[in-house]
Amino acid sequence: MINRQVDVAVIGGGPAGLSAAISAKEHGANSVVILDRNSWPGGILPQCIHDGFGVEETGESMTGPEYATKYIEMAKQENVEIMIQTMVLQFDEKQNIIAVNKNGIHTIKAKAIVLAMGCREKTRWHAMIPGDRLSGIFTAGVAQSFINLYNIMPGKNVVILGSGDVGLIMARRLRFEGANVLGVVEILPYASGLPRNVVQCLKDYDIPLFFNHTVTSIAGRERLERVKIAQVDENMVPISETEQELKCDTLLLSLGLIPENELSKNANIEIDEITGGPVVDQNFETNLGGVFACGNCLQVYDTVDMLSLDAKRVGKNAAKYTDDQKQKENGIRLLSGEGVRYVVPQRINEYGKMQLTLRADKPKDVSTLYVLFGAKEILKKRLPWVNPAIMIKIDVDISSKVLESGQSLEVKIK
Amino acid sequence: MKNFHVAIIGGGVIGSAIAWELSKYKLNVIVFEMGGDVASATSKANSGVIHSGINSPYGSLKARFCVEGNKMFQSFSEKLGFPVKWVGKYVIAKNKDETKELERLKKVGIKNGVAGLEIIDGFEVKNKEPNVSCLEALWVPTAGITLPYEMTIALAENAVINGVNFSLETRVINLKKENDSFSIETNKGTFRNDLLINAAGVNCRDIVSMIEEPEFNVYPCRGEYLVLDKNYHNLINAMIYPVPPKKQGVLGVHVTPTIEGNLLLGPSAEFIDDLADKRTTKKMMKTLMKEAKVILPNLPDNAVINAYSGIRCKLASLEDGGWADFRVEESKQTPAMINLLGIESPGLTAAPAIAKEVAKMISKHIKLETKNNFKTWKFREKRFQEMTQKEQSKMIEKDERWGRIVCRCEHVTEAEVIEALSNSLGAKTLSSVRYRCRAGMGRCKGGFCTQHIVRIMENQFNMDVNDIKLNSPFSNLFHGRTREVEDD
Amino acid sequence: MIEEKEITCIVCPIGCRILVRTDEKQIEKLDGNKCKQGIEYAINEALDPRRMLTTSVLVKDGEWPLVSVKSSQPVPKNKVFQVLKEIKMVKISAPIESGQKIINNVANTDINIVATRTVKKIMK
Repeated sequence: MINRQVDVAVIGGGPAGLSAAISAKEHGANSVVILDRNSWPGGILPQCIHDGFGVEETGESMTGPEYATKYIEMAKQENVEIMIQTMVLQFDEKQNIIAVNKNGIHTIKAKAIVLAMGCREKTRWHAMIPGDRLSGIFTAGVAQSFINLYNIMPGKNVVILGSGDVGLIMARRLRFEGANVLGVVEILPYASGLPRNVVQCLKDYDIPLFFNHTVTSIAGRERLERVKIAQVDENMVPISETEQELKCDTLLLSLGLIPENELSKNANIEIDEITGGPVVDQNFETNLGGVFACGNCLQVYDTVDMLSLDAKRVGKNAAKYTDDQKQKENGIRLLSGEGVRYVVPQRINEYGKMQLTLRADKPKDVSTLYVLFGAKEILKKRLPWVNPAIMIKIDVDISSKVLESGQSLEVKIK
Repeated sequence: MKNFHVAIIGGGVIGSAIAWELSKYKLNVIVFEMGGDVASATSKANSGVIHSGINSPYGSLKARFCVEGNKMFQSFSEKLGFPVKWVGKYVIAKNKDETKELERLKKVGIKNGVAGLEIIDGFEVKNKEPNVSCLEALWVPTAGITLPYEMTIALAENAVINGVNFSLETRVINLKKENDSFSIETNKGTFRNDLLINAAGVNCRDIVSMIEEPEFNVYPCRGEYLVLDKNYHNLINAMIYPVPPKKQGVLGVHVTPTIEGNLLLGPSAEFIDDLADKRTTKKMMKTLMKEAKVILPNLPDNAVINAYSGIRCKLASLEDGGWADFRVEESKQTPAMINLLGIESPGLTAAPAIAKEVAKMISKHIKLETKNNFKTWKFREKRFQEMTQKEQSKMIEKDERWGRIVCRCEHVTEAEVIEALSNSLGAKTLSSVRYRCRAGMGRCKGGFCTQHIVRIMENQFNMDVNDIKLNSPFSNLFHGRTREVEDD
Repeated sequence: MIEEKEITCIVCPIGCRILVRTDEKQIEKLDGNKCKQGIEYAINEALDPRRMLTTSVLVKDGEWPLVSVKSSQPVPKNKVFQVLKEIKMVKISAPIESGQKIINNVANTDINIVATRTVKKIMK
């Protein structure tokens, strides 16, 4: 058993973990260690070889590998320790972490823990797609890693289910590598991914996008041979008369991402059923004091830029916690009302200015966003448009009076 | 052309159990399996239940082999190193009519020699199973669960260690009887042998028809299942069964805990035309959820992590009630051909007993002499995930690959994947890894581990990327390279 | 020659369909945009559409079999597949540094192809 102590331990070395670790170091934490299960830091960035990273953050557009390199270099300069090929097996409410790598079992006692485990992709069974069990069905991210990292082609004639960004980017990537992309199938009447990707990944190459459609079955003997797609009605039930067959050898699933919180759940961290991530306060602290959450394990972000910016704040808060471990009140709840899918943070226990991130439940034209304290409007903001694919960020000032009332706040979009 | 004493067609649980039983004797045995691994059909796609023997009529082979097999399971499991858990089962009655059925089942069970049967009231059931509501239940303490694929693999790998030949990806194309021996034509060449065991499961009729006109029919009956996330394992402790529906010869949709801590819902029962049609259907997914909720209302809707189906080999049609007994017999027309027909549920439980019976039948043709060097090898010791931290540290000290986790959901190490790929059967598919060490069996369905397993297959087992398969011979995972690498 | 093109604006998620009528190198008419930001995008898209191009190049003796690459500048849209074709024929030996030029003046576009990651050499 290898024992050690650190100020801040970061679980996960993707963009969120790197950003939080660098920031923790910058804000005074003496020792910061990142624990990552892969053979490299940077998470999935090395397989995201397309560009567009960093525009919101720095104005400069980078590719995924470039963005990762920038952060890894910064981490090195700040003397952040990165342990690769290291899997965290568990942690507890006293900030004891148990991890394993080829040197043995490690017990790490940290003053603060930052959760940055990222997310995983939804599988065939989240969409409950019936049919044969065959080879040729990949999640989009897995296919991306095979093509871009391992030089392996997953297939030649491809249908993509789900218009999330990974799916759209993979449509172009496969096309570039000579595959025939028969279409992207989306159950909603609009794309889940960014408009830029719809234009530059599909329209540019005349790849069909089937809105209000879904894959109804998968068939073949041993490798995938065909899928059936059909239009859905307003209740998302497939209309059988519209069913058509597409001959293909590969189905990529881009059904969305699930924050990875198995470790958090085992440590009794409260999870928000909608975000799939921990319930946090305005400092991104979970219900376990000294345990903070950032990145895609907190909520699935649209862009790595926004994720990194939030993670920086998390790193700062974790560093602050290491010299001032004060117990906080439970505070008040922030609830998602009409037109709002979710809002982070879910709890507020300090008054003052803070940032909320939230998502609308469906696309709309001109709308108004309200933060309500009972019937009183704490904040009212006009939005030119809303789209669930685009996260909304707003600053709000919470007074001590509101906080002391103990009453919940509600966020609405009308 | 190679000569064998005994050829077994089919590497399911029955074929593998027979192979292991025969490996105790001085015999040349070969098993032909058309899949990329053993347990590649119905033997891996069932409830994994060790049945007690209450469901088959007194005097039937099903009852006899089930009760005998059940009693052999504990020692089998200990010797071969596959898991069993005697969780017991409740057959629950929701109304007065159904309670009468419990009485009947109990009576049959007692007659068949099943111990410990007890009818208890709903209140008591609630004490033991807080999420189950019923009027009365039949408690069956001798029912248990196992991992059917691990059992089959353990039997087959032990047979190989004791000299049995397993030929995977081998399809029997034709059979001929010439003088006193059989000539078996396969895609891997022609083999000659004295005795032939037809353990081809749902394909048993096809095998018979290669050599004689079959006087029976096979009515394939598909059973679909849903697997739920481990997060819900504590909804039940024992298996929960409904009173069996009439006229299908099946037990009804039940909820079963699995050895690995998931919940299993199923199976459905649907008579189909094509015995290779193992698809799952939207309709049945919905039906399973609905029917399972009748016996366990608290089941979550969004916790399915997998769905699969298996085909029952039935010898009676739906019109004839769906029930027929096992047939374990030597062909009258073709002596020395032993047919195992209609081995559906409780075939998994019956396998050890059927294997013994087949050995006895063989002994009438060939004198069985015990081997001196027969050895038993435990299929698996503890997994990394099951070890204490001390044990884990020790393993890593010995071999650092025990410290490299390659499956994030099930915490499987690189060492375990390598061990799985080094199996004595020579099975090297993604599924064969999955069924041996559980890498890829968890909730992310291979999102993290697939790349690692592929890397290990390429680097440490020198496999060509185009030869990497999911399971069966044509289930290739990939289509070559993104950039062709020439040798230079 | 007068041409009409419908361009989906990607500046914001509204996705205005902007109709652009061009006469050779001139904009004749522009319609459908809800704001000014879309104008520049639509003009570029109508007259000289370009795309950043990212893909990968085969590596010899590297810790990874591929190195990710990008075009040093956006590539004219109609030359994308020509550029890709040339990239696919290239093979480079490790070590490779991020930013290293891999192809000069690819497909006569005056644009270079550069590595976007570092790939170390491994000894076999």
